[in-house]
Amino acid sequence: MMTGFFRKNEIKQKNDILRGVYEENLRIIGKGNARITRTRFFFLRKTFLTFLLAMSALLLHGLFSNTTLSPESQLTASIIPQNMPVLPVSATGEALPASSDYKAFINQGVSLSRVFGLRVKTIMIDAGHGGVDSGTIGKMGTKEKDISLDIAKRLKERLLRTGHYRVLMTREDDVAVALNNRVEMAKAARADLFISVHLNYIPSKPINIIETYYFGPTSDDKIRELAKQENAGSEYGLSDFKEMIGKIGETMKLQESREFAASIQKSLFANTSMHNGNVHDFGIKRAPFVVLLGVDVPAVLAEVSCLSNGQEEKELSTEGHRENIARYLEAGIMDYLNKGDFSHEAKR
Amino acid sequence: MKQKDEQKQDKSLFVGIDLGTSRSSISAGNNTREWIESYVGWPKDFIAQQVVGKPVLFGGEALENRLSLDLCRPLERGIIKAGIEKSDEAVKEIIKYLIGLAKPGSDQKIHAVVGVPADSLKVNKLAIRSAVSDNVNSLMVVSEPFAVAYGMNLLNNALVIDIGAGTTDFCIMHGTIPSEEDQKTILTAGDYIDEQLFSYLSEKYPNSKFNKNMVRQFKEQFSFVRDVTEDMQVVIPVNGKPVMHDIKNEIRRACESILPALVETTTEMIARFDPEFQIRIKNNIVLAGGGSLIRGIAEYLQDALKEYGTCKVTCVSDPLFAGSDGALKLAQDMPEKYWEQL
Repeated sequence: MMTGFFRKNEIKQKNDILRGVYEENLRIIGKGNARITRTRFFFLRKTFLTFLLAMSALLLHGLFSNTTLSPESQLTASIIPQNMPVLPVSATGEALPASSDYKAFINQGVSLSRVFGLRVKTIMIDAGHGGVDSGTIGKMGTKEKDISLDIAKRLKERLLRTGHYRVLMTREDDVAVALNNRVEMAKAARADLFISVHLNYIPSKPINIIETYYFGPTSDDKIRELAKQENAGSEYGLSDFKEMIGKIGETMKLQESREFAASIQKSLFANTSMHNGNVHDFGIKRAPFVVLLGVDVPAVLAEVSCLSNGQEEKELSTEGHRENIARYLEAGIMDYLNKGDFSHEAKR
Repeated sequence: MKQKDEQKQDKSLFVGIDLGTSRSSISAGNNTREWIESYVGWPKDFIAQQVVGKPVLFGGEALENRLSLDLCRPLERGIIKAGIEKSDEAVKEIIKYLIGLAKPGSDQKIHAVVGVPADSLKVNKLAIRSAVSDNVNSLMVVSEPFAVAYGMNLLNNALVIDIGAGTTDFCIMHGTIPSEEDQKTILTAGDYIDEQLFSYLSEKYPNSKFNKNMVRQFKEQFSFVRDVTEDMQVVIPVNGKPVMHDIKNEIRRACESILPALVETTTEMIARFDPEFQIRIKNNIVLAGGGSLIRGIAEYLQDALKEYGTCKVTCVSDPLFAGSDGALKLAQDMPEKYWEQL
């Protein structure tokens, strides 16, 4: 009697396993039911909406009271309007008396890292999601966390091959890493540049888009070039300049992040569209992502592809496509670091 | 029923394939079992083609003639190596060659289950499917340790550790198809041992000339952990002269270099499992893959885990075919209606 029970149980187990294998393979070829554990409504996640609302209120308060830019800790969830004046803040958070010359200097859009001849030594790559947090999931079961990690590793390899940078990652395995820990890692490593790799998901439209998020205003090419020449040879690293950043507020981070985002977006879109005419350029945008705002240095979050697009999901399952994305990101980083000498075509 | 099964077998040939970083094997329903080293080589030029006499060479033959060939080992660290078209092409050639070795009938449909390193399933599944699907009528892809577990009927409360060349894959079986949380892959495996051994030997014998292929052969001939009584001497040329070298200490150091990660990941996998069933899992740990041939490795792991309570670690009897045999069993057990869709 008992033997019969165990035998029946074993047969049921086996049948379940066989059906599981079958269903998994159906999913791979796109015949399975689309299973999306978490969708992203365009780029903003619900959790950030809360931040957004709260910080927008703070921001408005700042604007109407004609105060300076909030300290970084308070910026972690706000969106700064393009025309918002950026003024220096003292280490204690108290507004410094800003001279009109200095204010004008800041507002001319000079790239301060180049004014001071700062060098990038350490690059931190953040592969989005991980562990129990799969990110978005395509119809064939492809997970954002796996693709972002794969691309991040390829990017790391490529950057290391240049021999010029120390390249670190916030995760190198399929593990969950809290956002604040990612930020702390970047700070502890004294990272000079931070790039977070993600994939988009747009359930409402069957399109493929590329977009990059940053936190900062524009800069002026002429002044930047002049300052670059004047300060050539500076041995300072970006992270060495924390105190200076404190004095000039978040200006440098904001400027550099925007330029960095523009370079990444330009390279990603220009190169991708050469092979794929159906990709849309959603440009660079500002968003209150914690990983962008928490780190002290130029930081961007690149949505390098779109998992909700069936064709793109298929492409992402090939080595070549993922390697290409890493290549475009590398070209974008190089563009940003060697502003002015950039060839738009990513190198093989 | 038996007659119906036989009819099913006649019309179709079921095959199980283990697509490994270092070696690939096939087990077929017609009792054929074959394996090759996962190397593919194309003659570099017209003269090379005249010398080797074939448009494409496989496995050991490709390695032997490597100086005349563009040699490709397409799976690196468990995924199709970026290379990129050549690696895809090499996987296709390996599958085609393996299926040829199984000698299918001209009118037989081929239903294949292919076991691949677990990490391949995360980002490479479609690429692997497309590389394999040209040569078969229907196809399913599964992770290698899962195929091993299914073949050994380890469906419940078992931990399979497949120590391959590129990766070591861990898979917990608990009565259902293992989820992602039940599987983990680490990169300390056979290739890592080769790198360590190469570095230790280069350090100890700076004037001796050896290459990575020779180092791999030394490892496969002598691998062990802890201690063995035998001497380990190999001939390596120094300034062109063959000279005997003692490599025992270096072999041990290199093989033992994978143990910390192996023990750590094993304990982590067990600790994540439902505490009520952890004891059962600990008493049903099975080592598979080429790494299970390292002498003393099962005993080492068993002793290392003793501080967490009793445990039992065994090795599969035939690591070369455990994956393909399991994949074949899956193919044969799979209901016919499932194959129609794939």
